[in-house]
Parts: sequence; C-alpha cells; structure tokens
Amino acid sequence: MATRETIDARGAYCPGPLMELIAKLKLVQVGDEIEVLSSDKGSANDIPEWIKKVHHEMVGITQQDGYWSIVVRKAK
Amino acid sequence: MASIPLFILLCSGEHEKVQMAAMMASVAAVSERPVEVFVSMNAILAFEKGLAADKRYHGAAYSKLLKDKKAPDPLVLFQQGRELGDLKLWACSMALDVKGWELDRLEDGLFDGALGLTKFLSDAESGQFVTL
Repeated sequence: MATRETIDARGAYCPGPLMELIAKLKLVQVGDEIEVLSSDKGSANDIPEWIKKVHHEMVGITQQDGYWSIVVRKAK
Repeated sequence: MASIPLFILLCSGEHEKVQMAAMMASVAAVSERPVEVFVSMNAILAFEKGLAADKRYHGAAYSKLLKDKKAPDPLVLFQQGRELGDLKLWACSMALDVKGWELDRLEDGLFDGALGLTKFLSDAESGQFVTL
C-alpha cells in the first residue's frame, strides 16, 4: 500500500530541500508519495523541474503561510 | 537521450565560488547528468582535512551571509552529489605537488584521485566546461 511521508525542510536553503527529497526517494517504494515543506522560494520551481527531468510525478504544490507544500510520487 | 556531461574547473578558494561549484555539481549529478570536478590552485585549500568551517571558507560579504544563514556546506553538497548521482572529484596533481601534499591531506571520501590537467581537459572535450 502506498504511503506518504513528509520532509520538513523549512529553513533550508537551495539545494537543501531538493537534496533531502532525493535522498528520501531512494528509500521509499514506487507509488509512495513524499511531501516537502520548503520555505526556499526556488524549490517551488526547482523541485517540479527536477521531477519532470527524471520522470517522477508531481502530485501537487500549494503555497502555505510562508512556505510551500510540494507533493511528489515516486514513479520508477 | 543521455545528458551532456558537466566538467567544472574549480580554481578559486573563495567561499562563494566553492559554494556555487558544489551547488552546480550536486544538482547536475542528481539530475542524471555525469559531473566531474577538477580542484586546483587556491580551491584545494578548502578541502584540507579537519578544518573547521570558519577556517575552511573565506570570502567577501556573501560568504558571511552564507555562514550566518547556514547555507548547505559545500563539502556536504559534494558528498551528497557523490552518493546520489554520478559525481567525481579530482585533485589537481600540480596543486598537491606545490603544497607538498598527498591525497590523504584532503577530506576523506570526496576525491576519486589525483589527476593531471591534460587528462581532465581531454575528458572534458565530451561535455560542457565551466570554470570557477
């Protein structure tokens, strides 16, 4: 059964949130989702761009109060 | 289609340039792009084993900001790039010779070995070349 884990990377600067996401993706199963909480403005663009390049899936991105919630799904 | 390899010639020991080299190298490597970094001149000093961060990184106003804001440590970024992607670091043979250093004077687990500039330039003909 697919799971969702959350990485709280708020306060980390580029490329910290992306690197934390990638490290976590190595550990989870295909189909699992990871939510990254990031206050780094670049992450809102960089993480979707990285997901597209390496062929995982974007589930959604929402702006919260001072940070972004970026949800991705491991596709391979 | 395979990504074009990225070759980074890192000569400056300025914090800002070491930081950017580490950011470029790590992000490119985890984006399924082969990366090779050739560390020479003043840059080799930033990789000396056992230095505290305040002794390792030197720079201007932005260096202070990077430290104060606790931006990711460049050596940690290089290590992450190695663990999560195809990233190789080479220490310039000449830079080591001038300092009288062997590879074991550099931080453990970061370098793939010592290399001459001629070999690095030859390998770099197959990719994109960036100098910092």
